[in-house]
Amino acid sequence: MQWLLAAMIVVPLVGGIALSLIPVSLSRFVRPAALVLSGAVLAASAWLWYSFDATAGGMQFELNLPWIPGLNTAFHLGVDGLALPMVFLTALLTVLAVVASRSIDDRVGQYFTLLLMLEAGLMGVFVSLDLILFYLFWEVVLIPMYFLISIWGGANRSYAALKFFIYTLAGSLAMLGGIIALYLATGAKTFDMLQIAQQSAVLPRSVQIAIFIAIAVGLAVKVPIFPLHTWLPDAHVEAPTAVSVLLAGVLLKMGSYGFMRLGPTLLPEGFKALLPLLAILAVISIVYGAAVALMQTDMKKIVAYSSISHMGYVMLGIAAGTTAGFLGAQVQMFSHGLIAGLLFLLVGTVYERTHTREISAFGGIAKVVPILAGTMVFAAFASLGLPGMSGFIGEFMVIVGAIQPYTVYAVIAAFAVILTVGYLLWMVRRVAFGPLNKDRADMKDLTLSEGLSMAPLCLLIVFVGVYPQALIGVMSTSVEALARLVGR
Amino acid sequence: MILVPASEYAYLLPEIIVALLGVLLIVADLIWPAYDEATGRSKTWPAYLAIVGLIAAAVAVVPLASVSKTLFNGIIQIDPLAAFFKLLFLGIGVLVILMSVNAVPKFTRWTAEFYALMVWTILGSMLLASAAELFTIFLSLQLTSLPLIVLVGYAKRDPRSGEAALKYLLLVLVSTSVLLYGMSLIYGALGTSTLSEIGAALAREKTINPIVAMGLVLLLTGFAFKITAAPFHYWVPDAYEGAPTPVTAFMSVGSKFAGFALALRVIVAAEAVPLNWHLIFGVIAAISMTLGNLGAIRQKNIKRMLAYSGIAQAGYLLVGVAAFSSWGIASLLFYTLAYGAANLAAFAVVIIVANAIKSEQIADYAGLSKRNPLLALALTIGLLSLAGFPLMAGFMAKFYVFLSAAQAGLIWLVAIGVINSVISAYYYLRVAFVMYVSEGPAEPMKIDPQAALALCVAIAGVLFLGIIPQAAMVAAARAAASLFGG
Repeated sequence: MQWLLAAMIVVPLVGGIALSLIPVSLSRFVRPAALVLSGAVLAASAWLWYSFDATAGGMQFELNLPWIPGLNTAFHLGVDGLALPMVFLTALLTVLAVVASRSIDDRVGQYFTLLLMLEAGLMGVFVSLDLILFYLFWEVVLIPMYFLISIWGGANRSYAALKFFIYTLAGSLAMLGGIIALYLATGAKTFDMLQIAQQSAVLPRSVQIAIFIAIAVGLAVKVPIFPLHTWLPDAHVEAPTAVSVLLAGVLLKMGSYGFMRLGPTLLPEGFKALLPLLAILAVISIVYGAAVALMQTDMKKIVAYSSISHMGYVMLGIAAGTTAGFLGAQVQMFSHGLIAGLLFLLVGTVYERTHTREISAFGGIAKVVPILAGTMVFAAFASLGLPGMSGFIGEFMVIVGAIQPYTVYAVIAAFAVILTVGYLLWMVRRVAFGPLNKDRADMKDLTLSEGLSMAPLCLLIVFVGVYPQALIGVMSTSVEALARLVGR
Repeated sequence: MILVPASEYAYLLPEIIVALLGVLLIVADLIWPAYDEATGRSKTWPAYLAIVGLIAAAVAVVPLASVSKTLFNGIIQIDPLAAFFKLLFLGIGVLVILMSVNAVPKFTRWTAEFYALMVWTILGSMLLASAAELFTIFLSLQLTSLPLIVLVGYAKRDPRSGEAALKYLLLVLVSTSVLLYGMSLIYGALGTSTLSEIGAALAREKTINPIVAMGLVLLLTGFAFKITAAPFHYWVPDAYEGAPTPVTAFMSVGSKFAGFALALRVIVAAEAVPLNWHLIFGVIAAISMTLGNLGAIRQKNIKRMLAYSGIAQAGYLLVGVAAFSSWGIASLLFYTLAYGAANLAAFAVVIIVANAIKSEQIADYAGLSKRNPLLALALTIGLLSLAGFPLMAGFMAKFYVFLSAAQAGLIWLVAIGVINSVISAYYYLRVAFVMYVSEGPAEPMKIDPQAALALCVAIAGVLFLGIIPQAAMVAAARAAASLFGG
C-alpha cells in the first residue's frame, strides 16, 4: 500500500495530461473522463481514511525513494492526522469542481488537464515529507492556477492572474531561501523533514527565527494573512467557479498546513518566537476581512473577504500553540473548505443564471428558486458558525484554545462573529427575501447535477457539526505530538 | 626549439575533426554546389554533413572525459572540464544547425560557407576550453569571434543584419584590445604566459602588484564582454536582434559559454591574488541580473527579450563564480546545461514561428496555443525553465547556484537573485499569456520538421535535467573538481 499516495499524485497528473490529447470532436467525453479520474482519487482517499490507524503516531503509508542522492533529497511521501483530512478535502472538492465545470466550452481538454494537474500538485504538497519535494509541488500548484484564471476567468483576468502569480511566487521564493538556509544550518545536509526534525531543535534560537521568518512569508501569502492578502479578492472574483472552489477550499490551506507541518517540527524555537506576531496578524485578518466583507456589494467579493476572516481563525488557533488551538485550526481548515466551497458553488450558479453578482440586482428570489435560496441560507448559517454545523466547532475550538494564551485576542475573535453574522445575513436577506426583483421572476432553481455537487458538502457540514469526533479522532494523536513540541 | 612528441596530437583529435569538417564543407560545396542555379534552391546536405561531423567529434571527446593531461609544454590542458565544455559546444552546434536547416536558405544562398563558419567558431570555443596559456587563449578567442562577425552579418539584404555585424565587429575589436592589453601587462610583470606558472607566481607574491592587478582587471573585462555581463552588455540586444536567428541562437549560448570556458582557468590562476573575488563577481552578477531583467520587461521583439534575459542569465551563472568554490563551479556548469537546453528550445520556437509567419514580435504570438498547441506548450516549458520553475532544468540550476552561494555566505546575493527571479517570471509569463489568452489568428501553423526535432531534443533535455539532475550534476562536479586540481 506504500504506492497509494504516489498513485494519488500520478493518476491525476498523467491522466490529466492524457485528457488534453483528446481530439476536439470528442470533447464531450472529457468531463466524464475527468470525473472518473478525480473519482478514483476520491475513492483512494476514502480508503486511505478508512485504513488509517488513528491511534498510531507518526507517518503512515510512507514511501521513500531516492531522488537526487547528491543533495540527499528523496521522493518521500506519507500521511499523518494533519495531512489526511486535507488529502480527503482535496479529493472531494476536485470531484465537485469537475462536476461544477459543466459550462466550460472553450478548450475543454486543456481546462481539465490543468484542473487535474492542480489536484496532483495539492495532493503532493499535503503528503510530501521532503522539503524540496514540498517546494516543488507548492510551485506546481501555481502554474495550472495561473492559466485557469487567465484563460477561463472574468473580464479582468489578466491582472488578477498575474497578481496572484507574482505574489505567491515572491512568497515561495522567500520560502525556498529559508529551506536552503535550513539545509545549510543543520549539519545533516538533508532535505528530509523527519531527519531535519531530529537535528534542527539544537539550532540557536536567533537562527531558527531568521529561517522561520523566510519560510513563514511564503506560507503567509498563501493563507493569506493580513497584510499579504490583496491578491485573494482579485483572484477569486476573476476565477471561474470551480477554480474559486479549489482556491478557497484547498489552496489557502496549503499555507496554514505548512505552518503546522514545518513550524513545530523543524524550527520549534523560531515557531514559538513568532507566535505572538502571528496571533496579532490573525486577529487583524479576522476583523479586517469581516469588516471589508461588510462593505462589498458583489457576492463573490463578500465570500472572498469572508475567507480572509475565516482563515484568520485558523491562524489564531495555530498561534495559540496548544493542542486545543491546533485541533481547532485543523477542524476550521476542513470546515472552511466545505463551507467556502459551497458558497462559491452557490454564487457560481447564481451568476450562471443572471450574469451578475451585485446584491442589488436580486431580491426575494426565495419565492422563485426556493431550493437555491434555502441552500444559500444554509451556507450562510454554516459560515457564521451556527451550532450544529462544522463552522461552529472550528471557531469554538479555536477560541477555547486561544483564550488562555491570548485572552484579549480570543475575546475580539469571538465578538468578530457579530460582523460575520452582519455581512452574511444582510446578503442573504437582500438576495433571497424581501420584495421580488422583477428581473429575477424567471430564474431557474437548482438542477439535479447542481444539487448533487452541493449535497455532499451540506451533508458533511452537518455531519462534522453534529459528530466532530469523526474528524478530531483522526487528527488528535498527530496534533498532540505537535503541541508537545511547542510545549505551551 | 622544443620538440613536441607527435603522440600529443592524438589528444586534439576532436579539434582536428572539426577543423577538417569546415574545410570539407567548403571543398565539397565547390565540387557539388549546394545552391542550384537553375531552380534557385539550396540543398540541405551541408547542414547534415556538419551535424554528422560534429557528432563524430563529440564521440572523439568522450574517451578524453576522464583524462587529465597537459600538452605542448603547458599551452593546452586536457581534463574533464575541457571535455565538459567541448561536449557542450558540440551539442549546441548540432542543435543550432538542426534547427536552422530550413531557416538558413531563407536569407542566403551560400549555405555551405555558413555552416563552415559556424563549425569554425565552435572549433575556437573548443580550443578555449583547453587553452592554458595567454596567447593560445587569444588565438582561440579570435577564432570564435571572427567567424561570428561574418555570421552576424550574413543576411546581406537585411540592413539590421549589417548594422549588427558592424556593432559586433566594434565590440570584438574593443574587447580583444582590452584583453590583449591585460595579457601584455601580466606577461610583462610576471615574465610567463602559461596559466599554471602565472598562478604559481601570484601565489608567491603576498602583496598586490598594481601592474598585475590592472592586467587581471583588463583580462576580466574582456571576458565580461564575451559573457554579456553588465555593465558591458549594451551591444547585446542590437546584435541579437539584427543577426539571423540561427546565429543569435548560437551566440546566446555557445558564445556566452565560451567566455566562461576562458574565464574559469584564468580565475583559478588568479585565486591567489588577495582580492575579494566573492564581492567582485557578486556585484557583477547582481548588476547583470537586475539590468537584464528590468530591460527585458519592456521588450516587444522576442529576440530582444531573450537577449536581455540572456544578460540576466549571465548574472545567475556568475553567482556560481562568485561562490568561488568547487561546488559553485559545478553548479555553474550545471547551469550552462540547463540554460543551454531551455534557451535553445525557446529559439527553436522562434525560428519555427518566424519561418511560418515572418515575425519576431511577441504580439504576433497571439493565439499560438490554438494554431499549434504543442508548439505553445514547448515555448511555455522553455520559458518556465528560464524563469526557474520546478520540474524543469532551470529550477535545479538556480537551486544549485543559490545553494552554493549561500554556502559561501553570500546571503545578500541569494536575496537579489531570488527577487530577480520574481521579476523575470513577469516577462516570461507575459509571452505565455499572449500565446494562451490573447485573441489571434486560428489557422494551423506549418511546422518545420527539422527545427521541431531540435525542439524535442531541447525540451527532453529541460525535463530530464529538471526531474533527474543527478547524472549531469555528477559530471559537472567532476569537471569542476578537475579545475581545482582534484
